[in-house]
Amino acid sequence: MNPEPFLKLDRTIHEKGRMAIMSLLAANTELSFTEMKQTLGMTDGNLSVHLRTLQEAGYISISKTFQDRKPLTTCSLTANGRKAFANYIDLLEQIVRESRK
Amino acid sequence: MDADSANQALQVIRTLMERSAIYRRALSPIMIFLGILGLVGSVIGAGLQIQSAVPFGLYWMALSFLGVIGAFLLARRQAIKDREQFWSPATKRVAQAVLPSLFVGAVVGFIFTFALGNQLSFSWALPVTWILLYGCALHAAGFFTPRGIRLLGWLFILGGCSLTLSSLAVNVRLAYTQSHLIMGIFFGGLQLAYGIYVHFTDSSSERA
Repeated sequence: MNPEPFLKLDRTIHEKGRMAIMSLLAANTELSFTEMKQTLGMTDGNLSVHLRTLQEAGYISISKTFQDRKPLTTCSLTANGRKAFANYIDLLEQIVRESRK
Repeated sequence: MDADSANQALQVIRTLMERSAIYRRALSPIMIFLGILGLVGSVIGAGLQIQSAVPFGLYWMALSFLGVIGAFLLARRQAIKDREQFWSPATKRVAQAVLPSLFVGAVVGFIFTFALGNQLSFSWALPVTWILLYGCALHAAGFFTPRGIRLLGWLFILGGCSLTLSSLAVNVRLAYTQSHLIMGIFFGGLQLAYGIYVHFTDSSSERA
């Protein structure tokens, strides 16, 4: 089997928690921190760390606002993040396709 | 990473994307329900000889209301079945996207029915307006849905435009039976066909 697709997999996305976050954000224009925490069942700390990693990679943007006087943190995929995630899925599909040959 | 892990990762991605968008799995039953409702409504409307403006408008608005209630219950049933949040952020966004067009459709329906019902063009103007607005609603919802909805929206929009142009060109006044037929073709036939398409394509992708 051609090992090239394995080597090209984006290590930032290729982690269970971050892949889950990217998947949720790919299906939604934006999600709040609480919505993601509830959907993924992550702790505040865990989710924050993953979000920071993705933000530093330029894959997500985080905005902090107020709603009903309460702080509201929302996240969305950046254009780079969307492209990287699409590329990541393409590579996974390529791996599956090649294994079927 | 081997092919199995890659496959599992893809499955996880698909599941998570779908979990955040409950309406996607409810889409097929909702479309089939709306399609059957439209077809049956069209046949009953024509059969009962609903042939004047106010009964025509009220009849189809009542059916639309039934459609909204039915779609709501189907989506809720799906959420309960999968033990997932019904009013998810994605569902909220789809609702926000379709609401303006549906709201205008309801307002225009009342105005046309009660204020303009005696106009010569009423029997085609109301169905065509509803078809165009519904097409816009579907197209807006299409930004949050996986496939086909935007195309279906365009079919409604182009169909509505074609009907308008052809009605103007030949300057014809449709009989109400024909208006029921048009409603049946668009709100019944097209939606039923799309629901069946989604049902089979979803089933095959789940098997893959």
